[in-house]
Amino acid sequence: MMKALQNKVTELFENGTITLMIGFRGVLDKFAIPVFITEVSQADQLIWTPACLNNLSVYLHKSEVKQVGKIGIIGNAGTLRSLLQLISENQLKELELTILTINEQNEVIVFASTEELEVYVQANCPAYNPEDQALVDKLNAMTREERWKYWTGQLSACVKCYACRAVCPMCYCSVCTVECNQPQWIKLSSETEGNLEWHIMRAMHLAGRCINCGECGRICPAGIPLQLLTVQMNQEIERAFGGKTGFSAKSGYALNTFKTEDKETFIR
Amino acid sequence: MEVKNSYIPYQVRIADKTEEAPMVQTYRLEFVNPSDATAFSFKAGQFAEYGVFGEGESTFCIASPPTREGYVECTFRSSGRVTKALANCEINDIIGFRGPFGNTFPIEQWYGKNIVIITGGIGLPPLRCVIWNILDQREKFGNLTIYYGAKSVADLVYKKELQEWKERNDVNLYLTVDPGGETPDWKDHIGFVPTILEQNLPSSHNAIAIVAGPPILIKLGMPILGKCGFANNTIYTTLENRMKCGVGKCGHCTVGKTYVCKDGPVFTYEEILNMPPEY
Amino acid sequence: MPLTRSKPKTKKHLSDNDYQMEQSLISSANLQAFFETLLQSGRIVVAPVLKQSGKVFFQPVQAYSEVATDYIQTAFSAKSVVFPKVETLFSFVRKDGEITLTDSLNRIPETVVWGLRPCDAAGFDYLTEFFLRENPDSYFKTRKEHTTLITFGCKEADNACFCTSVGLNPGNTTGSDILMTFMNEECYVEIMTEKGQQAVALAPSLFKASEVRQKDAFLAKPATRFSIDEIKDKIKHAYASAEWKQVSLGCFSCGACAFACPTCTCFDIQDEGTQDKGVRLRCWDACGFGMFTRHSSGHNPKNNQTERRRQRLMHKFNYSVDNLGIVSCVGCGRCIRVCPAHLNIFENILSVTKD
Repeated sequence: MMKALQNKVTELFENGTITLMIGFRGVLDKFAIPVFITEVSQADQLIWTPACLNNLSVYLHKSEVKQVGKIGIIGNAGTLRSLLQLISENQLKELELTILTINEQNEVIVFASTEELEVYVQANCPAYNPEDQALVDKLNAMTREERWKYWTGQLSACVKCYACRAVCPMCYCSVCTVECNQPQWIKLSSETEGNLEWHIMRAMHLAGRCINCGECGRICPAGIPLQLLTVQMNQEIERAFGGKTGFSAKSGYALNTFKTEDKETFIR
Repeated sequence: MEVKNSYIPYQVRIADKTEEAPMVQTYRLEFVNPSDATAFSFKAGQFAEYGVFGEGESTFCIASPPTREGYVECTFRSSGRVTKALANCEINDIIGFRGPFGNTFPIEQWYGKNIVIITGGIGLPPLRCVIWNILDQREKFGNLTIYYGAKSVADLVYKKELQEWKERNDVNLYLTVDPGGETPDWKDHIGFVPTILEQNLPSSHNAIAIVAGPPILIKLGMPILGKCGFANNTIYTTLENRMKCGVGKCGHCTVGKTYVCKDGPVFTYEEILNMPPEY
Repeated sequence: MPLTRSKPKTKKHLSDNDYQMEQSLISSANLQAFFETLLQSGRIVVAPVLKQSGKVFFQPVQAYSEVATDYIQTAFSAKSVVFPKVETLFSFVRKDGEITLTDSLNRIPETVVWGLRPCDAAGFDYLTEFFLRENPDSYFKTRKEHTTLITFGCKEADNACFCTSVGLNPGNTTGSDILMTFMNEECYVEIMTEKGQQAVALAPSLFKASEVRQKDAFLAKPATRFSIDEIKDKIKHAYASAEWKQVSLGCFSCGACAFACPTCTCFDIQDEGTQDKGVRLRCWDACGFGMFTRHSSGHNPKNNQTERRRQRLMHKFNYSVDNLGIVSCVGCGRCIRVCPAHLNIFENILSVTKD
């Protein structure tokens, strides 16, 4: 299977479809890490294992990557849904992108169009990770005081490394709200109050945009299950407006969309 | 070992405010505590952290010369959160003052030499300290030649002092504004500072030069001085980088292994050429 | 013409001391009693604790049962004991035109850090050099004076560990007040400093004097990835290497590596509150952040991730050598484990220094 992937990527380089491949390689016998292949000879580094967890679509915002030209990218379920959400937010317009995945039958798929990607994602990618769902159900069953205690306890460990923001494909603002100091909307210190401000703000900015890849919680160095915040927010948005993120290239963003059928009357 | 806490500021009171140019002010500051005033001393080239409690600190040079006691002055442009809060302070308000930090211009090594100073816009404040330091001991130095310009007449800082320096016969001042920045009654030069410099080249004989201000001025000015025969270790500049602690710990100001706050901000051109271009 | 400058450093480390090292033994079964003596002495005891996430963190504990034992390395270092993630420099109050400043330097409690690894202890040694050699930092100084470091030699390593590549090893004593090495049913105890002796003296009946023992057979053997002397030499010319871009492409520009690292010291100073009442804080910062070097004019001397990652690696292996005489990387491997892309510092160093 990996040979099939390596061969396919070699073919894409040789026929000029891509000049950069973003995929995974193995290190230290245990990690699968992002690799940026610019030469055919490097294609044999590519692997595809259950350890290939990073959401590689986040690299498409990096100027050093964007300027390379024709980009190939391989995605797991989360990455593919991110790509659709990013397309629906007009973030990938200038890129010549070739999207690959490997399906349950271990076949290499190169998506010929956004429509093909949509069909595949709608058929194969889950909206929520079942473990996350179980934890969110537990949180929702708590009283408000219990839930507050849970989150203040968890978030006291945050050190404001912003790894959660860094790995999130939807956090592509060129100046983040925390980087504004006139006024300083969000405290910079990493004591509990400052941490709550940051994470609540971020969850609000992601509500209806996050596709629940779960990377934020997985990579948090402090071990905080941050993805649960955005899973909850997304489910709120679904209840209010319908639709799930990351299954269509046209879904857009619920909180900045106005439709004449919207039930609120204040704007009429 | 009793260690001075570098993060506790002196308290200083704003004794005077002068508007120099749009958005640019000079504050004269006096120590609230008389024993601080006695203990405090500094040398030309050093800077300080000027703070508004509750807003933060900002880094500026000390713009008054060390030869004048009892007060320090700073000149700053309101561009960010702290400088805007500073600009909103009133006379008699107390602000924080931490310093002096950094190394110094080796003024004593320049006795008997001719001094050439090239700067522009808001680059003049750190060098105004040097200029008055020299003028307060005028007989110790040779010729003093100053090239200074700004975008427009309104943007020139220390307008009264520029007039004073122009009228002195022991100072040679080339004053200029960018083309289009002149007023109808402007009598001095019109042209960018490097252009005026090239049209009126200084002699490198027994001379040192200081170039400071916008990076573009440093980039263009240094080679011109080289052409006049200035050796790289006779050209000085004062670097600015983002600074926070002032004592070589927070890491914001580093250029390679060098901390601009403690190994600088004064450097020779020779030293600049040996640093990575990260300033 | 020479400029007035701060003085260059001497070779002697600030933490070098004239204390004559002593050896003793404590039975592994008695470690708990020693631990409890430390707790009962009123000291804050900071030890590794296994959290629900499966990661181990240093935090204050109340009982020996809380201490994690079956792990290779903690997620974050223990540097927050002497360099907290948020430190109040002072609080201020403005009243009737006057301002009162109060610092909290005299309220630091006696603390013991239990369960460091030798790489971590060497990290404290670097921090001491960095914060105290020039322009000594009052906050670090006070905290360090009130901290005792008890280290355990490593029985195991994983393949992110590379202490032997940076001149250290799983039995190294640099920076420790006490180093313990498990030898079957006993712990071989090396008391390195006066402070270590004071800790042992709290429960003298638990310890008995010992001859010098060989530790090697009981310690892990992490793979050596390079020779530090060779790297120190080659990295002097590595600034212009074409490899920097490739090694930085995966970097997300977060602060995880810097915050987990035992020797990263960069910080920000922030005021919170109002102009009438508030605090001035020192908070961890990281050279990997995009805004770290940005001027208020918008000019940014390091305006892409390649330059920022180069800064991090050059600083660890070159600039800290030039400035303090020490490589600041201690080979703990935390940056590799905690990085969302698992960027590998020793692999990267080899890439940028290859001929």
